[in-house]
Amino acid sequence: MHRRKFLAAGAAVTAAGLAGCRSMFQTRSARSPPLVEDRPNAVYVPTHVEGMEMVGMGGAGDYQVALTYSFPHRFWTVDVDQRNKIEIQGSDTMHLMTTVWDPETGTVVPNNSVSMTVERDGETVVDRPLWPMLSQNMSVHAGDNVALDGDGTYEATVEVGPVSARTTGAFQGRFAEVGSATFTMDFQRSTLEDISFERLQDRQGELGAVEAMEMEMMPVAQLPEPADMPGTHLGTAESGDAQFVVLRTDLPEGIESDGDAQSYFAISPRTPYNRYPLALMALSARLTRGPDELFATSLQPTFDPDLGYHYGVAADPQDGDDLRIVVDGVPQLARHEGYEMAFLDFEDMDLTLSA
Amino acid sequence: MKAAVAIGGTGALSACLNRESPDLPQGPDDPATSPRQHAWNDALARDEHGNHVPPRHHVVRLLDYQGEGTPSADERETLETALRSLERAYPRSHEGEDGHAVGLLFTVGYTPAYFERFDADLPESVDLPDPEPLAPFENPTADTPDVAVHFASDYGSVLLAAEEGLLGEREAVNGVELDADVSGILADSDLDDDGRTRRTGFIGDGLPAENQDVQGIPDSEPVPEDSPLYMGFESGFEGSQASEDRVTIGDGPFAGGTTQHLSAIELSLGQWYEQDSRFHREAAMFCPAHAENGRIDGTGENLGATNGVSACADDVESDAREKGIVGHAQKVASVRRDGQPRILRRDFDSTDGGRASVHFLALQSGIGEFVATREAMNGTDAASEGAVGQRTNNGILQYMSVERRGNYLLPPRELRAFPRPQP
Repeated sequence: MHRRKFLAAGAAVTAAGLAGCRSMFQTRSARSPPLVEDRPNAVYVPTHVEGMEMVGMGGAGDYQVALTYSFPHRFWTVDVDQRNKIEIQGSDTMHLMTTVWDPETGTVVPNNSVSMTVERDGETVVDRPLWPMLSQNMSVHAGDNVALDGDGTYEATVEVGPVSARTTGAFQGRFAEVGSATFTMDFQRSTLEDISFERLQDRQGELGAVEAMEMEMMPVAQLPEPADMPGTHLGTAESGDAQFVVLRTDLPEGIESDGDAQSYFAISPRTPYNRYPLALMALSARLTRGPDELFATSLQPTFDPDLGYHYGVAADPQDGDDLRIVVDGVPQLARHEGYEMAFLDFEDMDLTLSA
Repeated sequence: MKAAVAIGGTGALSACLNRESPDLPQGPDDPATSPRQHAWNDALARDEHGNHVPPRHHVVRLLDYQGEGTPSADERETLETALRSLERAYPRSHEGEDGHAVGLLFTVGYTPAYFERFDADLPESVDLPDPEPLAPFENPTADTPDVAVHFASDYGSVLLAAEEGLLGEREAVNGVELDADVSGILADSDLDDDGRTRRTGFIGDGLPAENQDVQGIPDSEPVPEDSPLYMGFESGFEGSQASEDRVTIGDGPFAGGTTQHLSAIELSLGQWYEQDSRFHREAAMFCPAHAENGRIDGTGENLGATNGVSACADDVESDAREKGIVGHAQKVASVRRDGQPRILRRDFDSTDGGRASVHFLALQSGIGEFVATREAMNGTDAASEGAVGQRTNNGILQYMSVERRGNYLLPPRELRAFPRPQP
């Protein structure tokens, strides 16, 4: 029998232990208020915002990794374009998170191949992949609710797999190997209960988002404003409450033009307000100039030090060209509260390019 | 019974015999059977749909040759005599009180490391490379014993007695005196990273549910009572299995043999059972169309003798783009050759080390056929479309971690005892 189950059975649990449990559950439900009624089909301000505790940072091959945690969260995974709500399990102790970035540029890597092992005294307590996730105040991360085995010192190992997106520029040939980092995590429930928690009763449900939490030394996956992106900004389309910033840049190193194209056509989809990149989606585009079709193609997910995570193809878009953007597959990112209603239902987007 | 197999040893055997006490006949005096070691199907029962039913209990022993250099003619004869003794002791199958049951089936396989003991190379007709990682996100340890002996039976006690008999820990099994044993010639291998030299496990309705109190399975005991495997679905559909003919080496001195890949895969099914929807599980195991059309009841036994993914095998790319998920069976079906699967699965689940895992044992005419199948399973093309991740929503990759890989040649029966590379 697992220790966890033994504790749940309760036969040998002391009164003090029970009291601790009860306060734990009370705290948890207090920190998981009812969802906003009539949530908009858009990014909205959640019921609350909470802090997180930093366990540590370390190198993992090409990556730098930060390990953080907060209270267990409800969150949503995506089945095709439907929400699948993940409830907090009774045994969940914390929401364990990793943020992965390139130590040279500070660019957060939207990696979808992060897994976590937590051991205590040689016994494995947690061993699972982490969901690639989007949170308003915790930004792009990988995480899940996990059950620990009470207060104590744990050894947590984060394994980061290769990036599946094409890599360009200085990222070429990087992020192709598995890297791992091990952290010592001294966990006390009292620390968890001391993590900040703020209800947002005045704002909850409004269109908008809470700001990214700044943590020392840890970058946030925030893209520049459209005008500050590299190259020429040719327009921004909106659908599903996401913004699709259309750009023309020089061809990044690592992309071969298969025709006459001298330039690069990139779409940088991002969340409104916080400008987080939207990874794990399938995009295609059709570009026409008068009666001529310049291309109609799927856009390849690409990770570039200047453009960040984006979708692109070698092409020469010009002022006055007509563009149609199609979301073939919605972002398969797990979402924290406030993002679960958005980025699920997209219309085709038409715009005329204008520098 | 599974626990006894997992623990092994004389104590386990007596516990096992007390519970199981199979009243098994002895094997034939002249156990000449198929020239193929891997010709097991004729000894297996078939279910109502015509699927071959694998033996319920399995043990693989990974052993090293104890001598210097290469085995002698005497040692070769000793091993062959010991193997024949086991064949005389147990029937391959019999009709017991509860119907058809497997007595004892086994194969003996040899690694590239074994053949390196010899000056000569294996012939080109044998495709047996050293094991290596088969995905960018895995980092398995290579298993490099000399020999792998795979025992299978519907009775755990038979496995325990057979391995003890072979290794000289008992003189008789099932009332048959053994004419030889391999003690002093073969012993447990010294594997890198403390690899287990006894890989044990089970497959069959009910066994995973009975053995789900292990790391990797949530405490809620979610494995369905009637599932043959931990992940809750049927496998081994006749339509997804290569035939024994298909996996047999056709040319050269090892014609009639086959190759075996054996990997040790750890399972993490917390998300699978506690977070993923039923839709997700069906789409990830089979294909999105199966989930959308409600084709799977329960464990999928209603599918019959085929998992029915041939219709969606061509949709891997479009499903990756439009559904954001691709199925395991769907990806694997996309590399069938002439409509035929390339590998014959004889895998089983395990509680080795207290961890839910799979010993993925597959037979194919050359290891390249396994590699092609595994590459399809990696879904790299699906991941490059954007909505499917390297492991997220990419079949069942998210839930498994390949810890070890090993490649073996199963020679034809006449060469099963310490073969030379150029016999």
